[in-house]
Amino acid sequence: MTIEMFEKPLGMRDDFPFIAKKKAELRTKGTEIMQQAGYDLLQTPTLEYYETIGKISAIPDKALFKLLDSQGETLVLRPDMTSPIARVAASKLLKEKMPVRLGYYSNVFRAQKREGGRPAEFEQMGVELIGDNSLYADAEVIILASAILKELEVESGRIVIGHTQLLQSILKEFGLDERQIEKVREALVSKNSVRFEQLVGELAIASEKVEVFKALNRSKTLEDWKQWINFTNPEQNALYEEMLKLEKIIDRNGLSDSVTYDLSFISHMTYYTGLVFEFYGAGSGFPLGNGGRYDGLMNQFGLQVGATGFGLRVDRLLEAISPNQENSAGTLILFVEETEQEAHEEAQKLRAQGEHVTLQYAPAVQAIDEFTGLFKEVRRLDGALNG
Amino acid sequence: MDELTIAMPKGRIFEEAYELLVNAGYDLPKEIDDSRKLIVEAPNEKIRFILAKPMDVPVYVEHGVADVGIAGKDVMLELDRSVHELLDLGISQCYIATAGLPNTEMNPVTPRIATKYPRIASRFYRGMGEQVEIIELNGSIELAPMIGLADRIVDIVSTGKTLKENGLVEYEKIVDITSRLIANPVSYRLKQDRIQELVEKLRKQAMG
Repeated sequence: MTIEMFEKPLGMRDDFPFIAKKKAELRTKGTEIMQQAGYDLLQTPTLEYYETIGKISAIPDKALFKLLDSQGETLVLRPDMTSPIARVAASKLLKEKMPVRLGYYSNVFRAQKREGGRPAEFEQMGVELIGDNSLYADAEVIILASAILKELEVESGRIVIGHTQLLQSILKEFGLDERQIEKVREALVSKNSVRFEQLVGELAIASEKVEVFKALNRSKTLEDWKQWINFTNPEQNALYEEMLKLEKIIDRNGLSDSVTYDLSFISHMTYYTGLVFEFYGAGSGFPLGNGGRYDGLMNQFGLQVGATGFGLRVDRLLEAISPNQENSAGTLILFVEETEQEAHEEAQKLRAQGEHVTLQYAPAVQAIDEFTGLFKEVRRLDGALNG
Repeated sequence: MDELTIAMPKGRIFEEAYELLVNAGYDLPKEIDDSRKLIVEAPNEKIRFILAKPMDVPVYVEHGVADVGIAGKDVMLELDRSVHELLDLGISQCYIATAGLPNTEMNPVTPRIATKYPRIASRFYRGMGEQVEIIELNGSIELAPMIGLADRIVDIVSTGKTLKENGLVEYEKIVDITSRLIANPVSYRLKQDRIQELVEKLRKQAMG
């Protein structure tokens, strides 16, 4: 196969100026909100070891970009940000001052198998709150994420919240063993309600409980959750109490109308152990981001602490943002040899006032009308009349 | 925001699916000429239909340009798109099977399999530990064994009539197929009430 000069590897994209500009805005707004909430930004390497981050990241093996370093070690292009940040937190500098709040805006890499146009490299922004087991930490990251969505004017944003540990406990209560729970989990992760209902028939669930079990993937409120919870089971009771407290905090922040509590919602990311959530917006057919509690991941790095966080996908945010924020192009000053100095001084003056000014030597422009059409305002110091 | 977009497969499944919706109580235009039109409005129900090739329905739904869709399980298995599979509609029943000329053995070295469903075929033979060469065709699959292109075909069987007419016999049944109601994961959350209502109405029809 010959590669044409303009081709790029599968899934790689050029960001044209207007996208790059929008992304920069998005980054500024997003990271500002994170920092206001006390999160310090950090960056981690693009390359990591396959043995550590590659395996821990919960991204399927075939979606990893792998390469060898000069020592023959297998490396991966980082497929997510949560595991590298967990690594940083677990290693030297942060152990002493838990809880720690870290934020990021970074590109991650996931190889695509279908439709060459899907991005294999995309930016994510998010936070990780490490070393706090409380529900207040979970509430904090959910509210922070929705504050970012609000600031970016995402249309009709929605948050779906589930609870992996509570679901697990409830499935056990129905008398399912590990293998059966795994099957139910698979059906729920792949959002396959048909398979889920088929499973109900295959599992040995007491006949009077079948209807209750079937309703599992249809809950919308915490009130709905009550039908599955055994309040004499201390674990379930305590987790449910926490959910109620979380709901109060969320409601108090004006989010009550945009949250769905779906007990059957679980993430394909296997490292989430507690609360899980996902964000949606009207403009994009794909979720905008997700997050949750991942205490188990920290254990893999030898740290017995809780952690929670979220990540938002920048490419999907761009789709979901209302398009009214039209970027106005700046001012153009066209000059010729005689007016060069005048043009420079004029540009300096305007730039000092915060304007975007493009200086252009007029004879170098081939199609004057098309070129000037790109700008909001045009000053002609090339002898032509100002129009 | 209120409008629901439904991707429907053109052809045979369309009639059955449309009837199902009408029987479920949806006030839809009586006659729909599905041969040319690509978009059909049902203003009384605030529903818009997109008429698509069956294989394309999950694609529209995955990308969210259709909120829900009706797709054969064969297409779902072949494409493996990330969509919600909400309900087994029980219509357009058939199954996928292997077939070939009667009383023939597969080539012992590398048998060749002709199919419209390369993924399903490949998964089936791999599961049996057979090494096969998959030949992807777009139609008239029955031709392949007759002219010596393939040892076996993997295809949809509904009545078995097509196989018989071409002198082929069925060998192994792979999986049962019915049509499914599918939904885009984001639409499912943003229009949950409307979609859930659709599911419940169709569930009653599918069971009855």
